[in-house]
Amino acid sequence: MVGYLVFLTISTALFALFALGLNLQWGFTGLINFGHVAFMTVGAYTTVLLSSQGVPLVIAVIIGAAIASLLGLAIGMSTLRLREDYLAIITIGVSELLRLIALNEEWLTKGAFGVQRYPLPLAGFEPNLIGKIIMIGLLTFIAIFTVWQLWRGMRNRWREGKSIKGKSIQPRKRIGLIIWSVIALALILTVYVNGVIAISNYYNYKVGLMLIVLLVLTAIYWGLELLVHSPWGRVLKSIREDEEIPRALGKNVFWYKLQALMLGGAIAGIAGAFYAWQLTSVYPANFEPLVTFNAWTIVVLGGAGNNAGTLLGAVIFWAYDVLTREYLPYLGILNPTQLGPLRIMVIGLILMLLMVWRPQGILGKKEELTLGR
Amino acid sequence: MSQDKSPRFLLSANELSKSFGGIKAVNNAKISVNRGSITGLIGPNGAGKTTLFNLLSNFIRPDRGEVIFDGKPIHHLQSYQIAQQGCIRTFQVARVLSKLSVLENMLLATQKQTGENFFRVWFQQKSVRQEERENKERAMAILESVGLIEKAHDYAGALSGGQRKLLEMARTLMTNPKLILLDEPAAGVNPTLIERICKHILTWNQQGISFLIIEHNMDVIMSLCHHVWVLAEGTNLADGTPQEIQNNPQVLEAYLGD
Ligand SMILES: Nc1ncnc2c1ncn2[C@@H]1O[C@H](COP(=O)(O)OP(=O)(O)OP(=O)(O)O)[C@@H](O)[C@H]1O
Ligand SMILES: [Mg+2]
Repeated sequence: MVGYLVFLTISTALFALFALGLNLQWGFTGLINFGHVAFMTVGAYTTVLLSSQGVPLVIAVIIGAAIASLLGLAIGMSTLRLREDYLAIITIGVSELLRLIALNEEWLTKGAFGVQRYPLPLAGFEPNLIGKIIMIGLLTFIAIFTVWQLWRGMRNRWREGKSIKGKSIQPRKRIGLIIWSVIALALILTVYVNGVIAISNYYNYKVGLMLIVLLVLTAIYWGLELLVHSPWGRVLKSIREDEEIPRALGKNVFWYKLQALMLGGAIAGIAGAFYAWQLTSVYPANFEPLVTFNAWTIVVLGGAGNNAGTLLGAVIFWAYDVLTREYLPYLGILNPTQLGPLRIMVIGLILMLLMVWRPQGILGKKEELTLGR
Repeated sequence: MSQDKSPRFLLSANELSKSFGGIKAVNNAKISVNRGSITGLIGPNGAGKTTLFNLLSNFIRPDRGEVIFDGKPIHHLQSYQIAQQGCIRTFQVARVLSKLSVLENMLLATQKQTGENFFRVWFQQKSVRQEERENKERAMAILESVGLIEKAHDYAGALSGGQRKLLEMARTLMTNPKLILLDEPAAGVNPTLIERICKHILTWNQQGISFLIIEHNMDVIMSLCHHVWVLAEGTNLADGTPQEIQNNPQVLEAYLGD
């Protein structure tokens, strides 16, 4: 159980990271990227291939992220001056192209056989007591930071409810706020307690990986939160809504879009490295378009243009994935070959229902969708 | 603020042309704006006035022609670069970012912000925050002067049409412009607000900002403008003082004809 929760934490965190990149591109800037997995492919393969050649892991990841952002630059340069639908089409094409390259260029990627036995972070590391205490300390720091972020976010929302003029406060919204806070707190606590137990009693490679991915996620989340609340983020939001306005006000819209694409790509590249370390062997089949679809589900579910929402979306996505994977077969209604497609169908259904009843996502702001132009 | 050495014209454009398919929306037109002036641009519907604005700001690339702003050619520049030079346009149908607050709409317009560079957002947090505070003060002062201060924290999408026009103007002011191109500032605005808008334009003009104003409301043109250009079917029909234009038989015919 402990090990399984560790696995889940890693999966959730790395997909949260992956989706944060998409959220920057689409949620904040309005860039329709239907091939987000391309950045992940580049990040994953670059990291494992370079580190297999003896390049230190940290440097391999940085190069992977850099190449992923260069891919963003190339895609952006060729399409961002055109109408926005071109970006959508080109990104789909590029992601499939990369997967096919990974499949066919066997001299580089070993094709369908996949890359195995590449270096993993903290692979042979066996922490002694002090090592374990430091690790628990780091985990505690992450937990405190997360709770603090949660508190801040909730407090802002709470006040917002009060300050809406003309309308009375909607108590249902506040109950929702409390419910979500409790759920989030319970989640943080679960991950934390499980992490502490795992570090002290069941340490293995995955536990170390969990700690690293949580640290990286925390750092990137914080960096993104700074960005989206800065003048830089303001320009992105203005582009999302009506790019003629920032253009008329002297902002280089094209360059900002490129930056969003590149930064989001680099983040997805880093997520790709964790993906590869989690899998411990990578195959082209790991980078199907479905992975992009999952990121979209996460972002839409949580609320576009909301980083906390993206985290929540990733949690819900994985909770759904696990529950349906583990418990649906017990119902005995469907055989396994039917279950797979059914689970994806249900996600589609949920997204459709969401679009009807809560198009802004769970944490998104309703006002932002309903306000007239 | 007289600048003796600089040329008389803040903006001058010559031989501007643009066709859309078969329609010659702007055909060999010229226009100029004196430094420190309020200049009007009038003409019947479909005369090509908005298109001319689009050409001046390079929102639409002209087929032909040159535009000189502040002594330098700008027709080869991108529209954002033209804005950075201090030539800011507004839109005929006011465009505001309805999902951002009124204050954020204002802040967006500030030029050369440290926080517009993402490395600096991370590594110079203090100066970014300091600057943001100063910009907020300035924005609030401008909002106060145009009477939008109570709306500062509301979504801009909640503003009325007239208030949007005001916000759009106030926003251009945040950029420290030399010239503001206003496309029908009084259209769809109630008479009291029109009066207020006119007053603001005069005040800002006294502070040294020049204006080029498209307007159908003749009272506004007559009371504000030092010089008026008339466009009809994409070409220059006349130009002169408001009085001259008012008494020009050709102009009257263009408006009454069709
Ligand atoms: N993007 C475009 N594509 C095709 N035709 C256009 C475009 N923009 C303007 N036109 C045409 O060019 C002509 C001039 O239009 P423009 O909007 O410049 O007129 P205007 O003088 O601003 O009129 P109004 O006073 O009604 O605002 C019109 O015939 C219009 O239909
Ligand atoms: Mg017009």
